[in-house]
Amino acid sequence: MASKAKKPDFKHANLDPGLAQKIITFGGAAAVVGIGGAAGLSAGHWDAFFHAYMIAYAYFLAIGLGGLFFVILNHLVRAGWSVVIRRLAEGAASTLPVMGVLLLPIVISVLMGNHDLFEWNDPHLVETDHLIHKKHAYLNANFFAIRFVIYFGFWTLAARYFLSNSLKQDETGDHKITTKMERFAAPGMFAFALTLTFAAFDYIMSLQPHWFSTIFGVYYFAAANVSFLAVTIIICRWLQSKDARMLPGLTVEHYHDIGKLLFGFNFFWSYIAFSQFMLIWYANIPEETEWYLERQEGGMAMVSIALLLGHFAIPFLGLISRRAKRNLKLLTFWSVWLLAAHFIDMFYLISPAQGGHGGEHAAGAVHFGPANILAFVGVAGAFAAAMAFALRGKKLMPIKDPRIVESLGFHNV
Amino acid sequence: MSEEEFRDGGVLAEFKDVTALVKACEKVRDAGYKSWDAYSPFPVHGIDPAMGIKMTKIPAVILTAGLTGATTAILLQWWTNAVDYKFPISGKPFWSIPANIPVGFELTVLFSAITAFIVTLAVNKLPSFYNPLFNHDSFKRVTDDAFFISISSADKKYDFDKCKDFLEELGAIDVEQIKDDSHVNAELPRNLKIAGVVAVCLTFIPLGLIARARTAYSSEPRIHIIPDMDAQPKFKTQTANSMFPDGRSMRLYPEGTVAVGEPGTDDHFERGVDEDGAWVDTLPQQVSLNEATVKRGEERFGIYCAPCHGLAGYGDGLVHRRAEKIGSPSWVAPSSLHQDYIRTQPVGQLYHTIKHGIRNMPAYGHAIPPEDRWAIVTYIKALQLSQGAELKDVPASARVKLK
Repeated sequence: MASKAKKPDFKHANLDPGLAQKIITFGGAAAVVGIGGAAGLSAGHWDAFFHAYMIAYAYFLAIGLGGLFFVILNHLVRAGWSVVIRRLAEGAASTLPVMGVLLLPIVISVLMGNHDLFEWNDPHLVETDHLIHKKHAYLNANFFAIRFVIYFGFWTLAARYFLSNSLKQDETGDHKITTKMERFAAPGMFAFALTLTFAAFDYIMSLQPHWFSTIFGVYYFAAANVSFLAVTIIICRWLQSKDARMLPGLTVEHYHDIGKLLFGFNFFWSYIAFSQFMLIWYANIPEETEWYLERQEGGMAMVSIALLLGHFAIPFLGLISRRAKRNLKLLTFWSVWLLAAHFIDMFYLISPAQGGHGGEHAAGAVHFGPANILAFVGVAGAFAAAMAFALRGKKLMPIKDPRIVESLGFHNV
Repeated sequence: MSEEEFRDGGVLAEFKDVTALVKACEKVRDAGYKSWDAYSPFPVHGIDPAMGIKMTKIPAVILTAGLTGATTAILLQWWTNAVDYKFPISGKPFWSIPANIPVGFELTVLFSAITAFIVTLAVNKLPSFYNPLFNHDSFKRVTDDAFFISISSADKKYDFDKCKDFLEELGAIDVEQIKDDSHVNAELPRNLKIAGVVAVCLTFIPLGLIARARTAYSSEPRIHIIPDMDAQPKFKTQTANSMFPDGRSMRLYPEGTVAVGEPGTDDHFERGVDEDGAWVDTLPQQVSLNEATVKRGEERFGIYCAPCHGLAGYGDGLVHRRAEKIGSPSWVAPSSLHQDYIRTQPVGQLYHTIKHGIRNMPAYGHAIPPEDRWAIVTYIKALQLSQGAELKDVPASARVKLK
């Protein structure tokens, strides 16, 4: 019963600074080695490096955005049950400034006229390609950079706002802070929806600037939620296995609810992915179908099938039962599974853009190599270090949130 | 109603608060009673295990219903589109999975939702029109601030005195005997029964009408629920019209009317006949036989004739092939232009056929102006010549290309 839950002992609920320091050191090293290694491996083939990097980048950007969405959403609806994991979401959202720094080299290269990644930045194509010419008013280097500042400006501001206020409440226990954050959540949600949508257009969809899909932002949003929830389950399990006192009172009931959201958002992803596919498939207009066509040829056809089975059919059946969500080993297994599927998803979205111009492109070719792995390790390291840096020495739960008791006593009927 | 008409329905015990209720539930559960229940003004977390209620099996039933819905949707679409009534729509396949997913999704949701609704009612034994507890004034407070446990007299272990003592031991603040008058009072009201029977009978009427319509024949026009533009306020050809004194719907041309572009003064050029009305065998003076004319004819032939007659004129155009493929019952095959009786036709007759059509072929006079009709005629003649040609017909200068 909610009213009877007692506050557990939060004395050890901090992210130990030693542990945080370890993560920051290892993560930072992985970032330097991974990203540097990927760049070194593909020296001279910047096209290959840029795409490998963007796949890894979009992967972790999604997790950070999923975290920010979770924080805003739960403030917006004044959710009770989720308070115990909100600090972790705030931590994930706090990686967004670092993600901004990681994108900076690409923004600068675009400003300097590089078009290995974004072919719309090629002045020759702007002249000769009718569609790119028409889209030039939006897809041009300067406006791209301005939008970069707007997106990451807002995300950084929002992530810092929620984390710093929440940490302040840990000290003072002032209930007014919660009210303040709830008030910011409503306009914050508007801004979040717009920035995420257009960021997905800019950083992923515009890699193939001929193609367009208005649902694309929602697609990336769904992927962001799935990946964030899966990562949260794994982080919680990992922290509890290290020292159960770090997340006191986080029980199977909470995992069950995160699992429900994971299941729901994964089906939502499938729904959106299919909606996008079916409209284009049915209308059968060449300028739209080409995007799917090159993902259904050669090796990419296998990637598409892997995505269909791995991101929808198999985890749908795997996560549908109550048992799968309450058995923590099973739930962890499906979280890891879905994180792998998330990689296939980002690979599926981004890699076919590689070699898209310059005549060396073979439709359906799978561009996967060591650079992909190194870039992934690199961005993963940066993400982990950024999250550990934001939470080092801090409580891992908002211990004085007015709804923490309700959350701790949460119970699925 | 006098007291004697009540039978022993069990025991009803009131508890002080929700904590006492949950504790008492655990004890009643452990005592082995089966036919009993607990009542509270609000949902109580943890009451299910306290009462020994097992996890519901409804989700499995709903999953089965959902899968049934998906299967039904897929089979329904497969049967109607790919087997029973094939209907080609812009060359799309009759049967393909992506197009069937939305309906599959909808029926999955529909079957699941309806099953969930019905099964939940059934499991809770609803709708129920009678419960002996409503005979007790004290029980009315259960939607306000009172907590109860009842043990039914239907329970195998039931014994009023023992149950009363047991519940008082558990801390019940008030215990009463349940006044059961189901033998006189649980019947449905007579009016409700009649209304129900009438409603069921009425539902057979539309079913009967449908069954009759499926087997009977009628000379009446079909029922036209949505007329769209089927019946328009207009006069059709060959019908009477009271608006004009002569009663005709089709109006005659005013005297002296001349068709645009075809004044009717040049029979050779416009009709393809000479002054005696016989087919002409030569081109009119307006058309000169040269490469430009034949090329023009080839182009027009490709646009207007080839869809049915085929690019080489063998009557095997795409429209024809499509009609054959889908087995259209009303299709009349277009003629091959290389049959003897067409090969020997004078140019005037070919011209006439283009202008007015023949048999199943519609007239093209409205779409092709006279110069172009003659150009097509020259091309058809060239085409016919080419199909029966021998090497000696080819000019020496062009023979090199054939090698």
